[in-house]
Amino acid sequence: MILVDNLSYSYPLAKTPALHEVSLTVSPGEFVAVIGANGSGKSTLCYALTGFVPHFFHGKLTGRVSVAGQDTQITPLAELVTVTGLVFQNPANQISGAKFTVYDEVAFGLENLGVPRAEMPGRIAAALSLTGLTDLADRSPYELSGGQQQRLALASVLVMAPRVLVLDEPTSQLDPLGSRDVFAVIRNLSRRGITVVMAEHKLEWIAAFADRVIMLAEGQILLDGPPAAVLTSSLLETHHVGRPRFTRLAAQAQSLGLWPANRPLPVTLAEAVAGFQSILTGRENHAD
Amino acid sequence: MATQVSLYLAGDRFLYRLNPVTKLVVVGCVIMLTFLAPGSWTPWLMFTLLGLLALSNNLARPFFRSLWRIIAPLALFLFVIHGLFSPDGQTILLTVGPLALKQEGLAFAWLMTGRILSVTGVSLLLVFTTPPAALMLALAQHGVPTALTYIMGTTLQIIPQMRARAAAIIAAQQARGLETTGSLPQRVRALRPLITPLVLSSLVDVEERAIALEARAFRANRPKTSLTDLPDPPGERLLRWLGFGLTLLIIGAGWQL
Repeated sequence: MILVDNLSYSYPLAKTPALHEVSLTVSPGEFVAVIGANGSGKSTLCYALTGFVPHFFHGKLTGRVSVAGQDTQITPLAELVTVTGLVFQNPANQISGAKFTVYDEVAFGLENLGVPRAEMPGRIAAALSLTGLTDLADRSPYELSGGQQQRLALASVLVMAPRVLVLDEPTSQLDPLGSRDVFAVIRNLSRRGITVVMAEHKLEWIAAFADRVIMLAEGQILLDGPPAAVLTSSLLETHHVGRPRFTRLAAQAQSLGLWPANRPLPVTLAEAVAGFQSILTGRENHAD
Repeated sequence: MATQVSLYLAGDRFLYRLNPVTKLVVVGCVIMLTFLAPGSWTPWLMFTLLGLLALSNNLARPFFRSLWRIIAPLALFLFVIHGLFSPDGQTILLTVGPLALKQEGLAFAWLMTGRILSVTGVSLLLVFTTPPAALMLALAQHGVPTALTYIMGTTLQIIPQMRARAAAIIAAQQARGLETTGSLPQRVRALRPLITPLVLSSLVDVEERAIALEARAFRANRPKTSLTDLPDPPGERLLRWLGFGLTLLIIGAGWQL
């Protein structure tokens, strides 16, 4: 679905490249999380996958990015939006400002694409239902909470039926409740088979739901693999990303001899509970 | 939380069913008649007709209440200033101490008040009966560039957002010890640390908004469609031209007489 081949990119006037010789492939339906410290290139990768790099930001790009068979350097942005949708951090800035209800806001993209009027209500209703906004359809987009606005941004992109959804830290400006609702929608979309690439800092959530994790550092891919492998790597600590709290807890237990050296470190709460339970049961049996 | 600025009042009477462009033409005709037709009674006649129109569209209460709030202080000011201090004043009606109330000044204030009432009244009827989105759509359908109608529509919604942000910046700067009250020079000095972050954050917003618009195919090079059906029957289009022609005729005939 996504092919990135030896991609290097520098923003205009920048001395160092934001991305350096990045290569990756993403299969259809895969849920890929991108992690990394601030300035590691996560947002730039998101922009590259949606064509904003280089169409919007210009700058110098070498290598190739292809999404659903479309070369992002050749295909105009307005055409790419039907292939790959982008949702970014600030929910308020993703509202078009031209529409006065949630329903009309979702229709905005369809109107721009010239979708026939008869086709719109069905698509809008589906997008609102997927994001849990059906009951808020008549509200002003500016009267929504941050989490609701971010779900509106998702609905506004989903209504254009992209095959790939790219999310750049979609919950970074939301409270825990808003984050939970947005994550629930993303998880639901992933289960429905849409390909998702998401830059995110909330590692516990990534550990629970992502199929694969890519770690970026200074514009390069440092780690690429399943969450259990990437999120337990000590490289996360050295590159200021940190590890999930359950991994840190088990690592500390390991340093105290309480977690077996040969047992993989957990990344989810369930794995941690299972691990500690098995250790405690083993000790009890040993004591008996 | 920021909310939208819109004076639209839901309804289903005659004015609501007109195409927004027809209403814009009515606004134009009323303004032309108010300012170009002769006679100091013309603006008041226009205002009376507008009042009847408001009444027939169930809008009398908000119409007259809004006008009272907007125009009353202004009218009072006009009558006092022009009545007492107009340089054209010759005919003294009343003298109280050093002050003399003059007929010519009052006549001018009467004309100006009528004009302001008429223009404000017709504009109020337009915004009371037209959802902003419908107005923007109608303009776009009549050849106004989409980028321009977008800016017009967005401005309405960005004002409350900017106000909310300005309030947040003021609160943040006050928390850092900035004095925003007190004498005029003190307030002027406080402006810079308030305006700079407001302008800079707004510039950052512009880039993100541009990305969001691109992500919604705003600049797609294909014919746009519309969710809303905005009827514009041929009869109404003909009526617009007739109304415009009639307005010119009345103005011309008025001056002939």
